[in-house]
Amino acid sequence: MHRMIFRNRRPSMELTLRLVKRSLYAKFNSLNMKRSKKDSSAQPFGPAHPTTEAAAASPLAHDLAALLTHEDVDRARDRWEVRHARWTERRSKILGRLSVLWLLVGPGVLVFLGENDAPSMLSYSATGARFGIGFFIPFVVLTFAMGLVVQEMTVRLGAVTHRGHAELIFDRFGRFWGFFAMGDLLLGNFLTLVTEFIGIRAGLGFFGIRPVVAVGAGLAVVFAVITTGRYWTWERITMGLAIFNALFVPAAILAHPDWSAVGRSLVTWSPRPHGDAFDILLLILAVIGATVTPWMIFFQQSAVVDKGMQPRDISAGRFDTLLGALLAALFAVATILATAPLFHHGINASQFEAAQFAEALEPWIGHVGATLFALGIFEAGIVAAIAISTSSAYAFGEVLRTGHSLNRPLREAWPFYSTLLGSACAAAALVLIPHAPLEFIVLIVNVIAVLAMPPALAFLLLLVNDREVMGEYVNGFWDNAAAIAVTIVLVCAGLGFGIATVIHMS
Amino acid sequence: MERQGELQGSHVKTSHAKVGASAGSFESGAEKGRKPDLKDPNVVLSLLEADQVVAAKQRMHFGRRNLSISVRVMLWALRIYVVAMLVIVLISAFQAIHSAP
Repeated sequence: MHRMIFRNRRPSMELTLRLVKRSLYAKFNSLNMKRSKKDSSAQPFGPAHPTTEAAAASPLAHDLAALLTHEDVDRARDRWEVRHARWTERRSKILGRLSVLWLLVGPGVLVFLGENDAPSMLSYSATGARFGIGFFIPFVVLTFAMGLVVQEMTVRLGAVTHRGHAELIFDRFGRFWGFFAMGDLLLGNFLTLVTEFIGIRAGLGFFGIRPVVAVGAGLAVVFAVITTGRYWTWERITMGLAIFNALFVPAAILAHPDWSAVGRSLVTWSPRPHGDAFDILLLILAVIGATVTPWMIFFQQSAVVDKGMQPRDISAGRFDTLLGALLAALFAVATILATAPLFHHGINASQFEAAQFAEALEPWIGHVGATLFALGIFEAGIVAAIAISTSSAYAFGEVLRTGHSLNRPLREAWPFYSTLLGSACAAAALVLIPHAPLEFIVLIVNVIAVLAMPPALAFLLLLVNDREVMGEYVNGFWDNAAAIAVTIVLVCAGLGFGIATVIHMS
Repeated sequence: MERQGELQGSHVKTSHAKVGASAGSFESGAEKGRKPDLKDPNVVLSLLEADQVVAAKQRMHFGRRNLSISVRVMLWALRIYVVAMLVIVLISAFQAIHSAP
């Protein structure tokens, strides 16, 4: 009931103040919220932040300052910037609107450019090298449209509930289903992280850099970015790195693609791929897995929460997500175009790894083009390593109910940062172990992402249709129709793969 | 709705009046472009939604929803689907690697 009061009364500042004052130090114990009695983790004065706990027990509990954390203050600073930009909007509409968008873009751009990661770029490269300009160009654009449908829901969930995805699943579905969802996420994230470090190693390997140095450099970047202790700084640095995904565009231009063929393929979805049906299906699954994955859901929702977005920001969040999808689709298509010369010259790229694509492309796109391609693979690995390890850390912190914000200093949220760095270090170490089954991991990582997606989408759909959680922001008819269509496509793709595999084996 | 009315009662209004004055002056400050004094907790609270404050989030959790039979069946079906498909993927990837020259 209390939750409904919060939900139904959107961000009136007066009500906010009234409710916070009431909630924080007067009524927490007695109201008891809508907690399940079975949920032992949700204690009235559960694993609170020490400052808060001390304040609540203190005779000076009325001191609001004692209840606020570093995280709250940093988030309030971000909110003030947005409020000020909105005020500017009243005077100068264009300038104000641009300021608001500049402040609120981030999670959507990061999630899509993060998903243009090393194995994804490898999948796009493989489609370009094996099938040239044709079916896969519009298909990639379609997969990003599917991703957009999914990610828009996470923006709403995060902005309305101020809770991460893992936390909501545990709260609403209980530990049993929560641990299943976390199992899918953490397995997929770890395997994907390994492939990111393979990409980092391969990208820098093009320049003759030793694997240990390359992987160490990747880890150093991940570490450097999180030491800022501020979500905003982390987001801007990571976005600054992510924009280097655009390196695939000049590489594509240097490949001198037939632009009329590109236009025709977008309209007619042809020429269609020919060859071994199982290989084509595997590639289709890999391309889907390169765009729609569970970590994206968890990451964007948590990032929206950490950024402090509110329901009023949902339209800007949608713009952010659309911008991310458009940029990522553009760079993915550019990767296909950059590697299309391999198809036209009959080069067998079926066993190529990331850096080998750059080396093989050098005769057609020149040394500059090949260098850009290799740097692009390195960038894709770095940005995804940052985003995916952060996604694991957010989910871990939400489930354990410990601090899980990039606005917290290292000493205050050490379990969060330890998970982030620990997962990155473990993946990096695996890449350096001689004879580790890296080929096996690369083969299965995108396929696992596709297979794990339907349950993740089911949880997302149930949550975003939960009126008790979302209030007036529940999915509409068309939102549900689009999301269900995406789920059906993913289930069918997975089942098709399973049937093809069984036939292939027998 | 009853509870909402209760929250707007006189008791709450009293405490709100004190905070509101500070927030009001902050609002005008924000419009003039002045940097807010974030050492003032009232300013911080005025910028955040009630359930956005960490202390509030630590104490307030959504309760467990009742899962209908159809939802349970769907979740179990998807779980079985994932496990079965994972086994197939592992077998096929293992075969692909061992059949490679």
